[in-house]
Amino acid sequence: MASEPDKLQRRQFLTLSLGWCSAIFALGASLAAAGRFLVPNVLYEPSRRFKALKPEDYSEGPTFLPNLRVFLFRKGNSFRAVSAVCTHLGCTVNLSGNGFHCPCHGSVFDQGGAVRSGPAPAPLTWFELTLSRDGHLVIDTSLAVNPDKYLVV
Amino acid sequence: MLTQAWKSFLRTRVGRSVFRVGLPSTNLERAQAAISSFFLHLQPAKVNRRVVEFRTTLGLGLISLYLFLILVGTGVLLMFYYVPATEHAYQNMKDLEFVVTAGQVLRNMHRWAAHMMVLFVALHLCRVFYTGAYKPPREFNWVVGVMLFLLTLALSFTGYLLPWDQLAYWAITVGTSIAGYAPLIGQKLKFLFLGGHVVGQSALIRFYVLHVIVLPLAAILFIAVHLWRVRKDGGLARPHEPQVTSENLSTAQLPLTKTYGLMELARGSTPAVGIDPEDEIFTWPNLAFRELLLFLATLAVLLILAICWNAPLEQIANPVHPPNPAKAPWYFLGLQELVAYSAFWGGVVVPGLLVTALVALPYADRKRQGIGVWFSRERKVALTIFTLCLVVAVVLTVIGTAFRGPNWSFQWPWKPVPVHETGTP
Amino acid sequence: MDPNLRKFYPWFAALSLLVGGLVLGAYCKDQFREWKDWQRKYLHDEMARAATAEQRADAARARIEIRQILLPELERVDRCTTCHVSVEDPSYAGLPQPLAYHPNHDRHPFSKFGCTICHQGQGSATTREAAHGRVEHWDRPMLEMNYIQSACGKCHLPTDVPDAPKLTRGHEVFVEAGCIGCHKLNGVGGVIGPELDKVGANRSPEWLLKHFKNPAAVTPGSAMPPIKASDADLEALTLYVLSFTGEPLSAYYVSMKTIPGPSAGRRLFEEKGCLGCHSVGGKGGAIGPSLDEVAKRHDPKWIFEHFKNPQAVSPGTVMPQFNFTEQETRALTEFLLSLADTNVVGFLKVPSAVGPIERGQAVFRKYGCLGCHGPDGQGGVPNPNAKTAQQVPGLKFVSEGYTKEELKKRILNGQREIPAMDPTKPAPPLYMPPWHDKITQGELNDLVEYLFGLMPKGEKLEF
Repeated sequence: MASEPDKLQRRQFLTLSLGWCSAIFALGASLAAAGRFLVPNVLYEPSRRFKALKPEDYSEGPTFLPNLRVFLFRKGNSFRAVSAVCTHLGCTVNLSGNGFHCPCHGSVFDQGGAVRSGPAPAPLTWFELTLSRDGHLVIDTSLAVNPDKYLVV
Repeated sequence: MLTQAWKSFLRTRVGRSVFRVGLPSTNLERAQAAISSFFLHLQPAKVNRRVVEFRTTLGLGLISLYLFLILVGTGVLLMFYYVPATEHAYQNMKDLEFVVTAGQVLRNMHRWAAHMMVLFVALHLCRVFYTGAYKPPREFNWVVGVMLFLLTLALSFTGYLLPWDQLAYWAITVGTSIAGYAPLIGQKLKFLFLGGHVVGQSALIRFYVLHVIVLPLAAILFIAVHLWRVRKDGGLARPHEPQVTSENLSTAQLPLTKTYGLMELARGSTPAVGIDPEDEIFTWPNLAFRELLLFLATLAVLLILAICWNAPLEQIANPVHPPNPAKAPWYFLGLQELVAYSAFWGGVVVPGLLVTALVALPYADRKRQGIGVWFSRERKVALTIFTLCLVVAVVLTVIGTAFRGPNWSFQWPWKPVPVHETGTP
Repeated sequence: MDPNLRKFYPWFAALSLLVGGLVLGAYCKDQFREWKDWQRKYLHDEMARAATAEQRADAARARIEIRQILLPELERVDRCTTCHVSVEDPSYAGLPQPLAYHPNHDRHPFSKFGCTICHQGQGSATTREAAHGRVEHWDRPMLEMNYIQSACGKCHLPTDVPDAPKLTRGHEVFVEAGCIGCHKLNGVGGVIGPELDKVGANRSPEWLLKHFKNPAAVTPGSAMPPIKASDADLEALTLYVLSFTGEPLSAYYVSMKTIPGPSAGRRLFEEKGCLGCHSVGGKGGAIGPSLDEVAKRHDPKWIFEHFKNPQAVSPGTVMPQFNFTEQETRALTEFLLSLADTNVVGFLKVPSAVGPIERGQAVFRKYGCLGCHGPDGQGGVPNPNAKTAQQVPGLKFVSEGYTKEELKKRILNGQREIPAMDPTKPAPPLYMPPWHDKITQGELNDLVEYLFGLMPKGEKLEF
């Protein structure tokens, strides 16, 4: 049987503990909220998902989209989109014969974007291409896909 | 369980390197805790019993300090989203309201803390006056305090412009115009503040720089001096303080430092005589714990205000379209009311006299009666004069806030004069 | 801890809990946003529509996030698509808002125009009330749909938008009522009333309508006469006036006003005398081919090149090279292309039949004289306390009271001081402004001819 002063002591101890736990929790929650506050929910940048023209508006072969730095390829009813940003140091690559070639440091890529020669460490990224509900091509530069994935309209 | 974990951490090498004293259980350790910590050593190891009683000071100075710290914290966070450019500022405010997580709450906290700080600094000033705590040897600290009051007003005023909405733009237009009435230097001062003749981009960047770095640094400096002086002037003012005069300087009357008191702890005896050690209690944990509670209470009230009431945001600033009436921030409305009668007397003479009177007060009133006592009978004249001025200031502010409508005409607050769509009343 | 402090432990626990609870509460309150519910509903709808597993996976991938359209050239950001998620998806046509499709959006793609440039409202907001703008401290609430055509007038000429007939009608009423006589618009007009450049942004449709019907009731002391027109026409006028917002628009958007449309082309067509050789609607010369169906015979590029160099395109032609500017050529081409639409032909005037009196009537309309002097100079516009029977004088008998020279002088110099009937009462508010810096000599001559011709045949003033 705990004596009265003991029970009082324990209750006071629990109250104090509750106080400190809540205080630490409040501090932690405030810091966490402040951290979440600093993560932006909207970006004042051009969107990485770009709605282009309708498929029929693009001619056969390659089309360069300068604001996205993307090459759009049309072969009949099949479309592909590849990044024109060299994986070495970010220059815009040019089309060349059967592939791509970077004018800055001489990296050469084949038709599938793989590195044939030069300092580039990785192949060019192919971006996801979808069709919007109102019939426009949509290029999403935040989603990479396999080079042999075509969009057939 | 938590205490056990903390205690074991304190026994480790890392723990001991950070916390020299750990959890004190002896008086010596309690004294050491106070003076070994950077944050706590601003307060002495032992304080007079009166200091921990709420009715001594009502904690007003502490609350002002806490509000300042909360303002700095919320202010820094807000700075991550605010750009002081006229093309961006208003949109940033809208972003904080709509797309930033907890943006609205943080902004509300900042705004209500700012208003509360002006109020509590003013209340603190009144408390110090009413307890005669400005009297010698604390004259200079009173002056530092008055400077802090002016800094608080300046901080609030410079921050007021930043949202760049109608409320901000016209309040600052009115406020700087009142300042412009000062003789000789008024117009030049206004030109310097605004960085031009009108409130525009130059004014915005100047007010921003003042608000986020210049005035806060000045405030921190003055606060440090202010707290240091409290310490050096013998702690909070109390009645029957032993006074050091040329007669008793030779005797061991040393109430102004606590070194001899601590010697009592360490050595068991002290050369200090005539001081009653039973009136003193340890800062840690008695004062520190109460200070923590006060901080929690302040934070709780501020959070409630921030959750329940949104800070105002009107239309984007429109230089062509002044609201009618255009009002200065509330703490300047008493001035604006006076200015409505006479720009020179109301805008220059009265505020000038007020500030001069405040600064000169402890040098004019050197009588030692009534120190540390609320509303001491021995100070009836001083108390009456001050209360009169206070009441007039409050009444003028209330009139300016609630009883003035379009064209600064008189209106009953419950019957506001309607303003038509054409903008005329 | 110190035994003296024990009495504070419950306070400490309570305050800590309170602060912790408030922090949590504030954060949770912030997390509940109405747009999240709408996006979840959209997700749910998409999942229900998904026919294959792949479609379901695609639908599930959609993130719940704020969506916005950045429009730096329009100095705004529109977040309407945060709730109106399916505006570009035709499969949501006709469904209830906010998850409905926006028809015909392809002509003004959202990425370039956003939403609020036409619909108004507060684009930055993410709650329904605030975004629709019907809140305190937001002056541009969403435009009601029956006034939506006024938005077209911000970028397009009112005569160039066949899909906005109310706007075109409103413009016609504006010209017929002679508003320009007293009000300046885009720097042109009279100075008696206030400028109209921003009136669409500063006034609500309800205020404008009431103002047109009875100006003095809305603006006490106003000298503006009520506009006499049908209710439908007054609505159209309100709609047109609402398009005067004075919003700064970048070159891309404003170019619609300077890219000449068919109406500009029609004016040129009349001015340059094309009907001297070509015929339209059976009227005109027979030297060149009839132009009614030219759009069916030739494509726009051909017509354009033909204007620039007729010999190069049609060797052996006698059509002279007029050296039109690029803008003029485009306007004329647009006009000819529009001739396939039969409505246009009826408005054409045959140049040889247009004499000074008809031209003078056009000048009378152009400068808005009828705003004060009434249509065809009938008078009837009140001018309180004016000696001239408290009205702006009519012009029917002006040929009796003035010589042509006196009349020209009067028009050029105006009359600022109008004699008052009762000198103790306020001066008459309407006065004759000077037109010397606005009207050309040729227009003045034609105008005087027209005014002199107003005298009804057979009538003479009896004295």
